[in-house]
Amino acid sequence: MDMSKYRELFFSETREHINSLNQLVVTLEQEPGNKETVDALFREAHSIKGMAATMGFNNTAQLAHHLEDLLDAFRSSGDIPLATIDYLLEGIDLLDGLLDDMQADRPERSTETFLAKQPIPEALSERKSPEAPVAPLDDESREEPPEEPDTFQVLIELEKETPAAAARGILILRELEKSGNLKTCKPGMDELREGSPCEQIQAWLSSFVDKEQIKETLLKINGVANVQFIGDRRMIDRRRRLSEGRTVRVRADLLDQFVNLTGELITHRNMLNTAGSSRNWDELNKALGRAGRLIDDLHHNVLQVRLTPLQSITGRLPRIVRDLSRNSGKQVTLMLSGTDVGIDRVILEEITDPLIHLVRNAVDHGIEEEGVVTVSAGREKGLILIEVADDGKGMDPQTLRQKAVDRGLVSQAQAHNMSDRDALMLVCKPGFSTAEEVTETSGRGVGMDVVKAAVHSLGGTLDIVSEVGAGTRFQMRLPLSVAIIKILLVSCAGHALAIPITRVQKTLDLPTSVIENSGQHRVFRLDEEELCLYSLAEALSLPQAAAGDTTWTILTEVRGRRIGLQVDGFLGQRDAFIKPTGFPINLLTGLSGATVEGDGRVTFLVDPQALLEMHSMTVNQ
Amino acid sequence: MALRVMVVDDALFMRNMLKDIFVRAGYEIVAEAENGESAPQLYQDTKPDLVTMDIVMPKKSGIEALQEIIATDPQARVVMVSALGQDSLVLEAVEAGARDFIVKPFREEKVLETVRRIVGQD
Repeated sequence: MDMSKYRELFFSETREHINSLNQLVVTLEQEPGNKETVDALFREAHSIKGMAATMGFNNTAQLAHHLEDLLDAFRSSGDIPLATIDYLLEGIDLLDGLLDDMQADRPERSTETFLAKQPIPEALSERKSPEAPVAPLDDESREEPPEEPDTFQVLIELEKETPAAAARGILILRELEKSGNLKTCKPGMDELREGSPCEQIQAWLSSFVDKEQIKETLLKINGVANVQFIGDRRMIDRRRRLSEGRTVRVRADLLDQFVNLTGELITHRNMLNTAGSSRNWDELNKALGRAGRLIDDLHHNVLQVRLTPLQSITGRLPRIVRDLSRNSGKQVTLMLSGTDVGIDRVILEEITDPLIHLVRNAVDHGIEEEGVVTVSAGREKGLILIEVADDGKGMDPQTLRQKAVDRGLVSQAQAHNMSDRDALMLVCKPGFSTAEEVTETSGRGVGMDVVKAAVHSLGGTLDIVSEVGAGTRFQMRLPLSVAIIKILLVSCAGHALAIPITRVQKTLDLPTSVIENSGQHRVFRLDEEELCLYSLAEALSLPQAAAGDTTWTILTEVRGRRIGLQVDGFLGQRDAFIKPTGFPINLLTGLSGATVEGDGRVTFLVDPQALLEMHSMTVNQ
Repeated sequence: MALRVMVVDDALFMRNMLKDIFVRAGYEIVAEAENGESAPQLYQDTKPDLVTMDIVMPKKSGIEALQEIIATDPQARVVMVSALGQDSLVLEAVEAGARDFIVKPFREEKVLETVRRIVGQD
């Protein structure tokens, strides 16, 4: 099979993983001992290993495997010594370099010297012999890299109320240009020429000149109060790589439509202006209506640009399944259906790894000797459903419960009280793996937790349906777009709150008389099923309204169980552009974002699942 | 060899003050002009190492004179002398190629620092 068409995707994705690795190492340096960060690092290395092995890029796979092993040793403590972090960074750079080489079609650089250094397993090993040699570095590896300019950020503060500050700024920038290559600066030359205020200048400079010398020169300039350098080159290189934008291919006709639509919007703005200044309300209303439609069209077009068919990632699956079958001696057939469905590119990128994990799991754990793995996709209401199914032996909830207890992931009592559905979800707990042995591709307890986390972070849900003897189905339900979603507006203790429509199965106006008390919970019956009723106000620690005749309720699902969520009223539904909340509001569980209303008020987006998972934990305690 | 300086200012007081500063520093005053009109020709004739140029002057402004000097000698080292509150004029002069500027009222050491910096650069 021709793998060349996947090369580009492999490279772009692997670069993303390398970016994450770099970012995580930086995080780890800032917060040493953070196990979650080490776990995340491990998973990134694991992903690269899997993808590289699939592409047949053995050096890359071997190197990633080496890094994975290295990280594995620190997963329990989370405490990576500084020397190891340097080694790790060297390894990450080497990975990046290997990709460079492959992309440039030149011979791959050697990884032997790096792999031979192996400082960690020896340093960690308890049976370390006293004379355990630190692998000597041969002269070649010590060779200085060709001299290249140092790139750094410089912050130049001006004296307070320095006269003609903009002109002073220009002189400073000219001075910087003399010392090296001025990459970006704030304020920029053009802004200064416009006479922009200037109290300080922040600039990226790439230069052979010694920093101290640059500082000395700058300090001689009249009006310069202070010169500082921020960060070092290694960090900066990383940050620069991290900020490199993603690219998307766009059809030319779509671009033309954008131009047309924005052109019409401009015309409309003029009409609105005219109607507004002449106070012609009829015209104003008409123009507003048309502008609304134009914005809808524009939104539709923007979404189109970001839609990519699922095929672009499922195309790799046949090869993966084939290799896995061969290695394991199983006879597995892969069936694909509905893979022409278009998915937001951001979502697609996020689910690529999870999907591959699911398929690997199906082959590794689902199928025993012979069977079929089916990947199907389609629209389901306002969602995309992607399902990975196998016709293997299925999963037995009882076995899973026992295993989770054995691994110390849940207590005996917790396992006993767990529904079968929850028991199946145990496979998504970090550290849970149904594979008896560690294989190249799966079975290290990394995988299902990644899948679940990825799906949830996109605002989707993961469900597992399994029947012993009949196989297992993993279902990912994902929103169509991440930024603009349909919301249900509800009132709660005098606040308007938004709930993603994808989380609402139904809205109910229950007569308060049908609600009963059962133990600690309030319950009501729906379709012959007894459902728990929770109060949104209570979950948010807001004052609860007195009970009226009608109990306004949202039917939603938490951990596979249908529940009712009581609100004070329904205010309607609409599209909303959701922005992530900033610190410290982002620390609040259950608030997953916010949207700004026409009058400037902020409405928070409530994620009932996250909110109630936390709420029920505190209630149960 | 002593640094050769030309001073352009319409006020005799300012010219004398600057000249005194430069002489005390051991520089040689090779020319002085009291307006922008005569300055370019004087520059051509004397080829000074450095020029201090007032911005607001009768007949021809310091900026125009600067532009003419730069046109004939792009390497000319011209330092503008401005009053407070002439930011946009200073900006214009810097864009036109002035190497630096000093703002009245100035202190002797600031003037000399600026001059040394400009001359030391090339």
